[in-house]
Amino acid sequence: MSEDRSQRFDALFTAYGPDIVAYCGWRASSPTDAQDAAADVFLTAWRRIDSVPEGEAARVWLYATARRVLANQRRSRRRHVALQERLAAEPPVAASEAPDSEAALVHEALLRLGARDREVLLLAEWEGLTPAQIGTVVGCLAVTARGRLHRARRRFRAVFQDLGSEGRASRDRPLLAKEGPEHA
Amino acid sequence: MPESIDALQRANPRAEVGFAETIDAVGAEVRLRIAVAGARDEPRVGQVRPRRRILGLSAAGLALAAAVVAVFVTFDSSSVTPGVENAAAAIKQAATLTAASAEQSGTVDVRITHGGQPWASKVIRWNGNDVEINDLGRKPSSGSPLLVVNGLLYGHDPQHEGWVQLGPVSNIDPGSGTTPTEQLDAIREDVGGTTLQRMVAGMSANGLTTKNQSDGSTVYSGTVAAGQIARETGFKEGQTIRVFPFGYVAQGAAANAASRLDTAVTVAAAGVIRRLAVSWGTWTYTVIYSSLGSTPRIVAPAHATSLLKERMRAVHER
Repeated sequence: MSEDRSQRFDALFTAYGPDIVAYCGWRASSPTDAQDAAADVFLTAWRRIDSVPEGEAARVWLYATARRVLANQRRSRRRHVALQERLAAEPPVAASEAPDSEAALVHEALLRLGARDREVLLLAEWEGLTPAQIGTVVGCLAVTARGRLHRARRRFRAVFQDLGSEGRASRDRPLLAKEGPEHA
Repeated sequence: MPESIDALQRANPRAEVGFAETIDAVGAEVRLRIAVAGARDEPRVGQVRPRRRILGLSAAGLALAAAVVAVFVTFDSSSVTPGVENAAAAIKQAATLTAASAEQSGTVDVRITHGGQPWASKVIRWNGNDVEINDLGRKPSSGSPLLVVNGLLYGHDPQHEGWVQLGPVSNIDPGSGTTPTEQLDAIREDVGGTTLQRMVAGMSANGLTTKNQSDGSTVYSGTVAAGQIARETGFKEGQTIRVFPFGYVAQGAAANAASRLDTAVTVAAAGVIRRLAVSWGTWTYTVIYSSLGSTPRIVAPAHATSLLKERMRAVHER
């Protein structure tokens, strides 16, 4: 292995490893799939290290690669889940504790967005990409990405506020009313 | 900035507990994949290898892979002591060797105990594409062996206490992810693939203690987040399902991805992992490896009844 190649790869992973791990984390179907996808992205980068662009463009290249890897993974995921469910012989146990309310609200609002809105919104707000970079990652013009992002932000705000109002209304309701009438 | 966007930014997964550990695990996994890829023929540009590539490691490439791993594991280890660094390198190398040794054949004995009592157990043997799965379960009646030999599936017939040849594996739910061949692929992945690498990376990232045994083996002890061992495979009845290697659903604290589970890995003097033990609360999960590379050929039952022939005869008799 060439030392230059190895050094460049190490620098790439150090600089952008957390970004790609985070991106795969919110795009993949499970934490395991996310780690697998992130590892595949960097294996691809290793193989194509000579064609990975320099500087900030490398980051965008990695996001675009991750997007393709995740798309491939999604195609085969159904098959894998079916196998694991068959292998799983024991009943599930209770899930872990609920997340705090703001995070839950954010996640619920994100779930209510369309997949395309969610993707451009999170590429901007979590990954810090500009509209032009988002366009490169998702394969559209910068101006299109900017428009999508604007609409996604507007929709997210609306859903988040609606959910917030619902939550406040629910919390303000008296406990008995929430639990239903007392026994006669 | 509106409150909603502010809240969205605060929910960035980079702030979640365990994120740094995940990066470490991915880093270790990437380096292993590169090591393995480098030890094989140069791949075609643009080809992304399947996740089970570790088991394709050739014997000739093994030494190179191990050497590359040994080099790579020193990366980003500035925060650990030299002793811990060496232990981390040794255990990762053992995982690579184990994967390579398990390529052709092997045997694993998987046991779960609860409160000191047997809960479930399974013995799996494989040789090439042939496999024998003996699920001993919790009840004597649940022990139903399954064999795949030369592409044919054999099951035990409880009515006649004999073997039944159930037909070619390719005819069984093709593409559904539940064929014996696909199960074998998953088993191999669990033996030496990403699961083992993830566990080892998780242990290394959180500090290891080592204990040398009189037989020349070494026990590496540490803790691993449950999420690094038991994969999330989906949801059932609104609850997350996490599955341990070899197909057991995680119970109790092990079902919570963030729980730290006590883990011990025994590496034999030859450098191959011999035993994995994970414990939490009153549960223990143990995998014992044996005969890696030397498990005998799986032999088809001598007097198996052909299910197809039986059905044909029943049709003719009508």
